[in-house]
Amino acid sequence: MSHESPETFADQVRAIPGGEHLEMCYSCGTCVSKCLIQQKVEPEYNPRRLLRMVMMGLREEAFRSPTTWLCSACDLCYPACPQQIHISGVIGAVKQLAIEAGYESPLETVSVDETLCSGCGICVMACPYEALHLVEKEIEGEMDLVSEVDANKCLGCGICVAACPLGAISRPGISNQEVVAQIEVPTDGAPRLITFVCDWCLRADDDVSLLESYPDNVRVIHIPCSGRIDPQMALLALRSGIDGVLVCGCAPGECHYKRGTYVSSCKISLLNRMFDQMNVGDGRVRFVQIGTQDRGCIRTEVDAMLEYLAAWKEAQ
Amino acid sequence: MAAPDAKPKLAFYWAASCGGCEITITELGMRLIDVGDLVDIVFWPCAMDFKYSDVEALGDGEIDVCFFNGAIRCSENEHIANLLRRKSKLLVAFGSCAYEGCIPGLANLYDAESVLERVYDTAPSLDDSRGTRPTPSSQVPEDEIEIPVFYDRVKTLAQTVDVDYFMPGCPPVVDQVWNVFQTLLAGELPAKGAIIGADAKTNCDVCPRQKGESGMRIKEFKRPHEVTLDPDVCFLTQGILCCGPATRAGCGLPCINGNMPCRGCYGPPDGVVDQGSKLLSAIAALIDTDEPEELPRILDTIVDPTGTFYRFSLADSILSELKYKRG
Repeated sequence: MSHESPETFADQVRAIPGGEHLEMCYSCGTCVSKCLIQQKVEPEYNPRRLLRMVMMGLREEAFRSPTTWLCSACDLCYPACPQQIHISGVIGAVKQLAIEAGYESPLETVSVDETLCSGCGICVMACPYEALHLVEKEIEGEMDLVSEVDANKCLGCGICVAACPLGAISRPGISNQEVVAQIEVPTDGAPRLITFVCDWCLRADDDVSLLESYPDNVRVIHIPCSGRIDPQMALLALRSGIDGVLVCGCAPGECHYKRGTYVSSCKISLLNRMFDQMNVGDGRVRFVQIGTQDRGCIRTEVDAMLEYLAAWKEAQ
Repeated sequence: MAAPDAKPKLAFYWAASCGGCEITITELGMRLIDVGDLVDIVFWPCAMDFKYSDVEALGDGEIDVCFFNGAIRCSENEHIANLLRRKSKLLVAFGSCAYEGCIPGLANLYDAESVLERVYDTAPSLDDSRGTRPTPSSQVPEDEIEIPVFYDRVKTLAQTVDVDYFMPGCPPVVDQVWNVFQTLLAGELPAKGAIIGADAKTNCDVCPRQKGESGMRIKEFKRPHEVTLDPDVCFLTQGILCCGPATRAGCGLPCINGNMPCRGCYGPPDGVVDQGSKLLSAIAALIDTDEPEELPRILDTIVDPTGTFYRFSLADSILSELKYKRG
């Protein structure tokens, strides 16, 4: 005689690819200690607790938990987990069920100006989360292929904002106009440096406050991900007389938004290749990758850049 | 000023250009005869026998519209640009060279001496180097000969004189030329500084090709001669670098329909200051690898980044500005 128990919340999560390792979790909390979101953004963020909620059948609580929505699948916790659970996969499964149940992401997401969008599809490929796709829509009386954002999948990293060749994608706080407006450094003889800092690469609060302690000739511009950087910003900065541009992102494999680090490293690398071709290549635009263990290295990088720029200015 | 019933006066000029813009005008064919009935052509050195002195003899502003093709490469180009500006009510930067420097603008990758050395000393077609260089002034038995000075930097027309309208294209396609002629001759003048004979959006907007199912993430950039190209699928999906995403539409896609990727000759769309860096930003977002150490190899497959991203717009780019600001 067979006995079928009703499908539990945990069964549903396990049935979704990625969710199958749920029960291996013995709640040690190592994942929480690795998580940047918990440290930097949301103290309530706690993967250990979310997995526990699922196993206990606390469906509504799990769907409302910030953990369900904020995980960027950076997977810093994955190598640390003694049970080798792919935790972001489990969280992704919970998120999928939450979306199906009608819950919505609390995050600020990008939006597309459909009248500008050409439907080139670059953003679709740029997005690390498959949050953008092309749809046929009526725009200003004509059927047109345009990009559409799935607000539940978008984490607001801004990689697509930089990738869009028409400036048709923006997000409050990191639109082209807002970032370019910050490219301004007062002149007082000292080397003028713009430092773009990704929100995640500085793990320690000390490093963040250290950056703020530099005088006015070092302008710090915060961006969610180094992948948000657009080489045109570096060119505009140099044209306006700023001496150098430093872009700080996460180390390879540690990018908070999966693809951001290598997209930005490609951009800066190609830009420098073009500088070399034009014989203006003199190391004034740099990309530094800061790893989880690299505490204090931001000072070394900024100081090295300032010293280099001082020597460069002297030589001009 | 011309009398009210007099025909409008038109001028055409070529500076540093290949002649393609001139050919596009002759491609008007029989329509050119109609143009000839409607206007007086007062200067067109490529097709008709005029001398510079004919232009000098005209009053200031006497030419109604001057279509100026070619970049500013030497002192002669600059001199005639100034002369035609003075003599013309409307000056149109006609074609990519005058508008944004185009292929001649790629010489900004080098300085004048490197260009001359290549042409006079090291080009493979030369038997041997005789160390010859064109000099602005030289003495021959009969007289002293002066030739134009070859500049270090290729400039656009607007970097040299005030320009009223910009018409993109290498060369502008003939139907757009006809449209522009009709519009201007009808006196329907767009706002000063307008891009004419082109559309507001980009080539991706009008391109009929399908994005492949594999998407456009790129692990290796290929060049058109290295692969058999599917005529129905997006070039980027096939790993071919196409400039369509950051290039203004209006050409009618002759390259794409000929199974070649867009090379960017219609320049940046509205709202884009620097076509090359914008294109770079878009293309870099497509690069895909799980192995960071692979990146330099993938980037190496973009053989000539400047010549690819700024193929037509280098002279008009921030990159060029940075180079020449330093002197």
